[in-house]
Amino acid sequence: MYPIWRLSRDGRGVRDMAGTTALPDAAAAAATGLVRLRRMAAMRAFDETCLEALRRGAIHGELHVGIGQEAVGAGMAEALRPEDAVVSTHRNHFHALAKGVDARALLAEICERATGLCGGFGGHMHPFDPATGFSATGIVGASLPVALGYAHAFRLRGQAAVAVGVTGDGGAHSGAFHETLVIAGARRLPLVVLVENNGLAISVPFDAITPTKTVAERAPAWGATGLHVDGTDVDAVAGAFARAMEHARGGGGPVILEATCHRFRGHFEGDPEGYRSRAERQHLRERHDPIALCRARLEAAGLAPATLDAILSEEKTRARAMLADVLADPLPDPSEARRHVFTETP
Amino acid sequence: MMAAAAPPDRLAMSVPATIAEAIGLEMARDPTILCIGEDIGRAGGVFGATAGLQQRFGPDRVVDTPIAEMAFAGMAVGLAQAGMRPLVEIMFADFIGVCLEQVFNAAAKIPTMSGGRVRMPVVYKTAGGCIGSAAQHSQCLWGLFAHLPGLKVVAPCNPHDHKGLMAAALRSDDPVVYIEHKALLLMKGRDFRHHPAVPDGAFTVPIGRAAVVRPGSDVTLATLSLSVEHALEAAGTLAAEGISVEVVDLRSVVPLDADTVAGSAARTGRLLVVDEDYLSFGLSAELTLRVIERLGLSGLRQVERLALPDVPIPAARTLEEAVMPGPAAIMARLRQMAKGR
Ligand SMILES: Cc1ncc(C[n+]2csc(CCOP(=O)(O)OP(=O)(O)O)c2C)c(N)n1
Repeated sequence: MYPIWRLSRDGRGVRDMAGTTALPDAAAAAATGLVRLRRMAAMRAFDETCLEALRRGAIHGELHVGIGQEAVGAGMAEALRPEDAVVSTHRNHFHALAKGVDARALLAEICERATGLCGGFGGHMHPFDPATGFSATGIVGASLPVALGYAHAFRLRGQAAVAVGVTGDGGAHSGAFHETLVIAGARRLPLVVLVENNGLAISVPFDAITPTKTVAERAPAWGATGLHVDGTDVDAVAGAFARAMEHARGGGGPVILEATCHRFRGHFEGDPEGYRSRAERQHLRERHDPIALCRARLEAAGLAPATLDAILSEEKTRARAMLADVLADPLPDPSEARRHVFTETP
Repeated sequence: MMAAAAPPDRLAMSVPATIAEAIGLEMARDPTILCIGEDIGRAGGVFGATAGLQQRFGPDRVVDTPIAEMAFAGMAVGLAQAGMRPLVEIMFADFIGVCLEQVFNAAAKIPTMSGGRVRMPVVYKTAGGCIGSAAQHSQCLWGLFAHLPGLKVVAPCNPHDHKGLMAAALRSDDPVVYIEHKALLLMKGRDFRHHPAVPDGAFTVPIGRAAVVRPGSDVTLATLSLSVEHALEAAGTLAAEGISVEVVDLRSVVPLDADTVAGSAARTGRLLVVDEDYLSFGLSAELTLRVIERLGLSGLRQVERLALPDVPIPAARTLEEAVMPGPAAIMARLRQMAKGR
């Protein structure tokens, strides 16, 4: 038996639903571990491909990648069901992939192609996929009220579905966060608020700006359940996320799941990052890389290094091929620019 | 003998540095001025428009906030009522959506609601304009602010006006929305076609006065913010084709200097208003009508407007270019107008 998530170091004020799960047998654990490693590898390769697309001039607006935060995205994937909804942020690629959004269509959208998920109208901050129940917003905090809407619809229709609203730690300070949880808590709606706490809102450190050590410990104020997990540990995130979804799905009311993690790159591509040193960034990559941590754990469990390396390189190759393919797609036809809006202007 | 400090190389100075200089001079002059916003202190602003100010004036006068715009937009109202003169930075104009309440129901209305007993010396400084990044990060929105009574709305183009209008905004006893353009915030003095010298010391540019930035005789082109540079580019090209365009930089939307525009249009007989904000119910219609009110229905031979058609700005560059009123679109429209000379 082993705990499936960790509380914050002091654990103060964080309500712990901590259950334990039976230790799976070694073979099953290895299989699960490999799937998780591959998911993370695919996510990182996806975002590295976005960086390459940016270098090649295929993206002309802002780009926010999630490199370093793969364990959160990959940890979500297992417990999400097709009928669930995810509403994400400006840093949304991994959440989209976790929800099952077609990677090629997403990359094509990011690369401003006519074949993109939204025909090139939305771009990287605004991917919408009704087919998988995924959407996002570029306005911080604004994802949560939308997730609340899904949660109410699910309840109204008697569906056993859960709405997941994603926010960063920065978004957790917004009025929308509070207002959403007041309604969700009072109505015990099936809502999971996933706080991806990478410790920074652009340049502003979380602990310099907030009165509590964690976001999760505020949960009792809204009658919600608060969980805190090490967001660099994919196994811990997968366990905690599954528990949170189960709780919300079972009628237990909203959950705030806070996953502590690190953003390896700038807030956006081009961010001069004057707020942290090169050494700090180096340290994060060396000590807190969720992929390296997962890989080391699997190696320690007896998996062959070659098998693990193959997974990483296969995903890189796959992503590169996908980019080459996407860049051959046509750009949107300028004459279509006004197609999707009611407008009287010529 | 000490060598005098070399004057800053104005042409090498960025627009954000010019803005920071204006704020710094005003803060040094007036201890009631303080700045509040996201990433403005330790980081000096995402564009650098408050660079160095926190080091100079401390974290209580240059306040880094959480992403809690409703709280700090309203905090400015309370600060003003308590006798302070706050400048609030709303990082991008689009984000006003989460805190418009405090701007238009409180700051804009309180001077009137209080029967003139309460002044509202608040500056809401925000970056508008399109440099990519699609529907939620590209809007100008000066038409929106202008529609709400009680707010002055300024949108400078060149570094001189950025500095002088910032000082004027900070000295205004009425709330001012100061809208920068992201593309201009990425420019230095020497990148500008029209760049009057920027004095080192404090000075103000009066809010509500337009400037003729290029004289001409065939068409009057009135616009503001980044579009002034686009207009100058277009006018430069068309001069070689024998078309003479007079360019007017409006500099503010409220108050709107229709007199200067009408004076120019009365001479040229033709008016083109270019606006990067949405076409309908906005600056272009308002200005056109005010000019007509001044010159009469027969006072102009031709009136045209070129603005963002009423669509959310799409992400893909091909789609974005199809809707933005850039230099090519301006030139095309001017050529068309000049045919009727
Ligand atoms: C309402 C609003 N205010 C400000 C911004 C500008 N902005 C974009 S992302 C960001 C920081 C977000 O931090 P966090 O929520 O922690 O997410 P992270 O970027 O760390 O993933 C800010 C201030 C915005 N998009 N929307």
